[in-house]
Amino acid sequence: MGAVDIRGVRKSYGDHKVMHGVSIAIPDGEFVALVGPSGCGKSTLLRMIAGLEEITEGDILIGDRVINDVAPKDRDIAMVFQNYALYPHMSVRKNMAFALKLRRLPPAEIEKRVRSVAEILSLEPLLDRKPRALSGGQRQRVAMGRAIVRDPQVFLFDEPLSNLDAKLRVQMRSELKELHQRLGTTTVYVTHDQIEAMTLANRVVVMNAGRVEQVGAPLELYDRPDNLFVAAFIGSPPMNFLQGAVTEDRSGLTLPDGLVLAVPGGVYASAGTPVTIGIRPEHFTIASAGWPVAVSVIEPTGSETQISTRLAGRTLRVLIRGRTAVEPGETIHITAEPDNIHVFDTQTGLRIDRR
Amino acid sequence: MTVVDQMAPGARRIRGRGRAADVVSRWAFMAPAALLLLAVLAYPIFYTIQISFAELDLGTFTATEWVGWDNYLTVIEDERFWNSLEVTGIYLVLALPLQMVLGFGIAFLINAEWKGRGLIRALFIIPMVVAPVVAGGVWRMMLDPLWGLVNYWMGLVGLGPFDWLGDPKLAMITIVIIDTWRWTPFVTLIATAALLSLPRDVFEAAEIDGANWWTTFWSITLPLLVPIIAATFVVRWLGAVKMFDIALAATNGGPGRATSVINLFIYEEAFRSLKFAESAAMAVIVLVITMVLTAVFLRGTRKLEGMY
Repeated sequence: MGAVDIRGVRKSYGDHKVMHGVSIAIPDGEFVALVGPSGCGKSTLLRMIAGLEEITEGDILIGDRVINDVAPKDRDIAMVFQNYALYPHMSVRKNMAFALKLRRLPPAEIEKRVRSVAEILSLEPLLDRKPRALSGGQRQRVAMGRAIVRDPQVFLFDEPLSNLDAKLRVQMRSELKELHQRLGTTTVYVTHDQIEAMTLANRVVVMNAGRVEQVGAPLELYDRPDNLFVAAFIGSPPMNFLQGAVTEDRSGLTLPDGLVLAVPGGVYASAGTPVTIGIRPEHFTIASAGWPVAVSVIEPTGSETQISTRLAGRTLRVLIRGRTAVEPGETIHITAEPDNIHVFDTQTGLRIDRR
Repeated sequence: MTVVDQMAPGARRIRGRGRAADVVSRWAFMAPAALLLLAVLAYPIFYTIQISFAELDLGTFTATEWVGWDNYLTVIEDERFWNSLEVTGIYLVLALPLQMVLGFGIAFLINAEWKGRGLIRALFIIPMVVAPVVAGGVWRMMLDPLWGLVNYWMGLVGLGPFDWLGDPKLAMITIVIIDTWRWTPFVTLIATAALLSLPRDVFEAAEIDGANWWTTFWSITLPLLVPIIAATFVVRWLGAVKMFDIALAATNGGPGRATSVINLFIYEEAFRSLKFAESAAMAVIVLVITMVLTAVFLRGTRKLEGMY
């Protein structure tokens, strides 16, 4: 049983509190990504699961055993580090065999396990090389091999792909996903890259300043962000935001400079409430009627085109499929479906649902 | 095609001129350093080699007559020369391993987190900043057989009294102790820096892999330190071969010739006995031996670095 249950975990260094009560239940076999900006506590949480950091308050359970005071080696976990943390003086084979040797497994069994993992990761030709004779991607694979060979209950990944170049990162990403589908081991994966989190995980935990902002399936976070932080963090290019007050007839928004914008479908909050509406760039469409915006920059990528526009001094990004004949300097009209317009309370940052 | 033919010679000429100017400016920039090195390094070595093959006129301090290997033969037939080489060898064999083990051991201990280690670290620097002659003098006072502190302490636990500087065997051990007191902090300093520079996540990986204190030390820390241990050894070796000051201040080579290390002997022969030519021959022999052994050590170091 490789379920991980994090219950009200807090962490402080002296008087400095860095984690303020985090609870996440991870069922056996799930791939969970912890994502958030630097310093949000995601790595600290992972290191607490690994046993490399003390838990100040709360409990962490693996299976149904509280592991707060269990030594890292007895937690039945394996960790892949950002800088790989390979033993530089040992060959690939010895790197992978080290943990098994310490567990006093018979040499034949060790060799068998190392071989089969090396086969899975296509590491066989590299088994006798030292880490420094390997490329970044190969080292990454060895680090994963070292984790897999132990057949642990839980894999912990600490930003494992962030040292690879962009192309390799995408390749390793799909290899990782395939690996998880094959092994089915519970995985906790820390990353600051929301694309990585979205593509890899069954469930994504968005963290910010030592708190969990939202937990959900990747598309849930994309479709229904609980608050402004998640709305801004998930999605690339990021969501557009407009702050204002709800108009008397609740059909639109009065911007701080007095401009009144009609919002398709209306704003479902009481009149006068300060709200922030959010619209993803890809949900804008160019129409004959709608908000008049001035085109400032056009960035084509082939499959899609990003258009930066100005609306009364604010920048709105619009992403459209395919190409466009629109030129910088032109004024176009943009609009969005009511379902794709998110409304948040500006003061609390929380989502306001359509009633 | 034609364009290329017309262009090429001109282009080559400009590049050729540029290259000559480049070479000149390179040498111009290197000249001051090169001249300085020639004056302070190459010339003394050349001078030493020259007088080792000659008779020296003490009035003008110049080589007067070429005598071939005569000076070398004199030295090789001198029993005191071989004795000094042996003394130096014993000193090196005792002091170097001791300083390496102590230096790295202490570094390992004060690298662990405990209160007051900052103070201990600072205290360890003191021996290094004391002038060697002062250190020799202070130790001579502490080790004095009649009123020295060390014999007093030894007496408290019922040992001694020892004639630290008068007994031929003890005198060598005394020199090794003083030298170790002085140079272990240097090794500790390098070792501490090395320990701090070791990648932290490798040790965390070992912890998760299930390595206990001893396995971590034996399978991770020590192999990772091997290149630094080897390099420190070479640096320390080069320093120890030159050892002279401590022996001069503490025992002045005695009792008898028991602590007359080779440098001290050369110094005595040259400046007390005024046998400059023979001393020069000895210096050349020591230089050659040192260079050969250093080359061997460096080679070993490189090999170790390749292995780890």
